[in-house]
Amino acid sequence: MKLGTVIGRVTLAKTVKALEGGRFLIVSPFSREQFAAGLDAPTSMGTDPSLVVYDNIGGGVKQIIGYVEGREAAQPFEQPTPVDAINTALVDEMFYNPWKG
Amino acid sequence: MLLARVEGNIVATRKHPSLDGWRLVICQPISADGQAEGAPQVAIDSHGAGMHQQVVISSDGAAARKAVGDEKSPVRWLVIGVVDEHEPGVRV
Repeated sequence: MKLGTVIGRVTLAKTVKALEGGRFLIVSPFSREQFAAGLDAPTSMGTDPSLVVYDNIGGGVKQIIGYVEGREAAQPFEQPTPVDAINTALVDEMFYNPWKG
Repeated sequence: MLLARVEGNIVATRKHPSLDGWRLVICQPISADGQAEGAPQVAIDSHGAGMHQQVVISSDGAAARKAVGDEKSPVRWLVIGVVDEHEPGVRV
């Protein structure tokens, strides 16, 4: 999974059946520099474009989440579902110590 | 599969139930000469990889689901091994 900061939410008026009741978060992926700066790093440090992540564990704006991208994101659903990013963890703490060798 | 270096770990109380009890390590993909390449990935680890150890991580979701024992798990990256040496004789 990757880490990212929740920077917003999306509400869908009409969705495919499988995604009904889900929440969608706009997430800014963590850059390497952001890992080093810690969980309070400003989102402006993120260089990758933001993405929309399906959420069923209750992530909120400004939180750091771990999300999985790819085919595996659809795995928790009963039926084939058009989802390619899912929130899998709300990060409480991060211990990061970059290699300087 | 990617060569990576363990640079930390994360703690998450609220997570997909299949991840309960698993170590979540921050793995920085590296090149053959040890330089960081791209943004770090968080992988599940059952090998007890230590800080700054080199590991190989795999994005095989099917294998990761088998490891956690939950077919409905979205887990994707797992540490499949800890690197001893790069080429015969060059220990890391």
